[in-house]
Amino acid sequence: MTPAPITVRICYLYPRLLSVAGDRGNLFALMQRCAWRGIRCSVTEADVGVVPDFAQSDLILLHGGQDREMTAAAQDLAVKAGPLREAIEADAVVLAVCAGYQLLARYYAPAQGPEIPGIGVLDAVTEGGATRFIGHVAAECDLGSGRRHKLAGFENHSGRTYLGSGAGPLGRVLAGAGNNGEDGTEGARYREVYATYLHGPVLPKNPWLADHLLAQALAHRYQDFGPLPPLTDQTEARAHAAALRLAGRPAGRWRAATDAMSRIRRPSRVPAMAGGKARIADKERGWTSR
Amino acid sequence: MRIINSAPPARSGEGRAPMPPAAWARLALALAAGKAAGTASKVLRAGGGTSFPGTVARRIDPRVLQKVAAASDAHTVVVTGSNGKTTTCRMLAALGHAGGLRVTQNRAGSNLLQGVISAAVRGTDLRGRMDAQLLLLEVDEGTVRLVAPEVRPDTFLVTNIFRDQLDRFGELYSMARGLEAVIEALPPSATVVLNGDDPLVASLAPAACARRLYFGIQADTAGTQVPEHAADTIRCVRCQHPLSYRVVYLSHLGDYKCPECGNARPVLDVAITAVRPSPGAGSEITVETPAGTFALQVPLPGLHNVYNTAAALACGMALSLPRPLEPAQARHAIASLRPAFGRLEQIRAGERQVMLAFVKNPTSYNATMREVLQRPGRKHVLAAHSNTVVDGEDFAWLWDVDLEQLVRQLGSLTISGTRAEEVALRFKYAGADPAVMQVIPDRAAAFDKALTGTPPGESLYIFAGYTPMRELRSIMQRRAWVPPFWEE
Repeated sequence: MTPAPITVRICYLYPRLLSVAGDRGNLFALMQRCAWRGIRCSVTEADVGVVPDFAQSDLILLHGGQDREMTAAAQDLAVKAGPLREAIEADAVVLAVCAGYQLLARYYAPAQGPEIPGIGVLDAVTEGGATRFIGHVAAECDLGSGRRHKLAGFENHSGRTYLGSGAGPLGRVLAGAGNNGEDGTEGARYREVYATYLHGPVLPKNPWLADHLLAQALAHRYQDFGPLPPLTDQTEARAHAAALRLAGRPAGRWRAATDAMSRIRRPSRVPAMAGGKARIADKERGWTSR
Repeated sequence: MRIINSAPPARSGEGRAPMPPAAWARLALALAAGKAAGTASKVLRAGGGTSFPGTVARRIDPRVLQKVAAASDAHTVVVTGSNGKTTTCRMLAALGHAGGLRVTQNRAGSNLLQGVISAAVRGTDLRGRMDAQLLLLEVDEGTVRLVAPEVRPDTFLVTNIFRDQLDRFGELYSMARGLEAVIEALPPSATVVLNGDDPLVASLAPAACARRLYFGIQADTAGTQVPEHAADTIRCVRCQHPLSYRVVYLSHLGDYKCPECGNARPVLDVAITAVRPSPGAGSEITVETPAGTFALQVPLPGLHNVYNTAAALACGMALSLPRPLEPAQARHAIASLRPAFGRLEQIRAGERQVMLAFVKNPTSYNATMREVLQRPGRKHVLAAHSNTVVDGEDFAWLWDVDLEQLVRQLGSLTISGTRAEEVALRFKYAGADPAVMQVIPDRAAAFDKALTGTPPGESLYIFAGYTPMRELRSIMQRRAWVPPFWEE
């Protein structure tokens, strides 16, 4: 009898409700990185009204959404909260992004409208802000292996999240706003919960994080699972480096100026609209309450 | 039978107050400088002068647009929304010409503030008088909040709202609030034309005093039952309950109803009641309007162009043209359209064909890809995206495009643009073998590589964001394969 193939059981929460900024790419990343290694993936989708068997899940995905969708998800997540909390205490791995991050914390109090309760697994609260944080982010993470990794992605949120003593940050911000634009923290960690504000999506261009989640998920299911076989990550490494470069660019007016300069130096571009358009459009962006 | 009922041209708003001499002088100077800038940029071959004149004129007189618009008798139409603006405007211009109107419009997708001002500068003489009877403005959905109060549109069209450049607008709903502010400011004499199949658009500013016209599709055979992945707004705008769709035509556009609060698609004023693929690339459609029902040939491929046609016809109804437009004229005007530049434009490139597609969000990408996948053979593809102010910084939306389908039919793949690394990553996870992907950020080099990778007699399909699309097109223009975009 051949042994049962190694399988990671992924639970994909709210694939339709919380799916706004290409976050389903996180699922693609996990599935492909398993497939390339001959590891099987079983994916259970659980939208509103379905309570999945969290005890049979090794890795749970909870992504971002807009305020309205988040309100609907919060109502439904209250029903799922009990078994989800138990799974988290039993070290199931969770990746939570943006609204998903806020829903695992205590509450989100938007600038307008009623407070949205979270399930309180993460010791953190979120307050709505008057301006949005929109832009590239780089952060430095140490997941306990002693090796530091750089996390790169794109943030787009008005919520400011403040961590309590029961949760640690996922990383320290190198560029961008992160949790609140004040204390230099980005994301949160508790047991095997990894929460972040980064879209992009975050896993494809941070393969080290994708593999960490997979390794922890396999360890959750199998007692003595060794390290994951390495993959050729050239494409990933280039995208990661490019994202870090973008995060490190100067912001605002200075960026418009340097971008315009780079256009002047590269005649293959269409010239007429370069400088002026950049400047005026930047002003026009004012109303988006950046 | 008449599509456009004859009614006196109604220019809403106040009469023309005489301008004080200083204000007049400043306007004249701004117009002169703007016109000079347009001529200069054309002579210097710096581009089509589609936005530079506006930049110059506005620098001299910040109120140039307001003054020109207030002094003009032209019926002003503002077209906004995520997708279909350029094509809808071309259709509407064709309808206007067929109706014997002189039309001034901003061209070539120059739809930010300075592009609109450039059109106004071009369309007026030095005294600020506009010869045109129809001023047709395509305006970026983020800029429209600034443009609309200045031009005071008589007709305001919202084509649809998709997830477009989220990093520019914050969230979908904040952009919707911007559009609502514009609609609420319209006078009762104005008309707002809305996509009835788009739940978010149809429910914009329900209490506004302007006349409302809805367009949409009412042909069961054209749609599917389940929303495809890229659906954006599939919850009820009023009560957040998931909408149930009787039929879905494109992304979240369809015949919807909220089972909770009863909010449903409004009754359509202009409805496409039948869609059949036509022998060429386009569709044969049947249109139902208050003035009658008639058949029409849409020469542009895809259901999105059926929506554009419905939008243009609904706008035509709202226009109150001085002369009525007969269905025969409308039929001829629409049937003789060519695609706007970069909208799945077919280009003869020596022994090969180039299909140039402008893609900017999951919906436009998926719709164009579906057209391409219907063609036989393996697909040779050049995919290019750049991060510019126009194209945005956030390319996460590429992960919402169903590129897996394209990868299954790939012959060769070249990737370009300043965000080539990001695009390559997306294609790798869609199943493309990194060993056969050529990543060449430089557009000219990538174009040559992609073209030589396409066997003679076959087609190269280009999927590109706005800026790389313009760049690739200007490379082909230098080889005299396409006319300049401003001569379109």
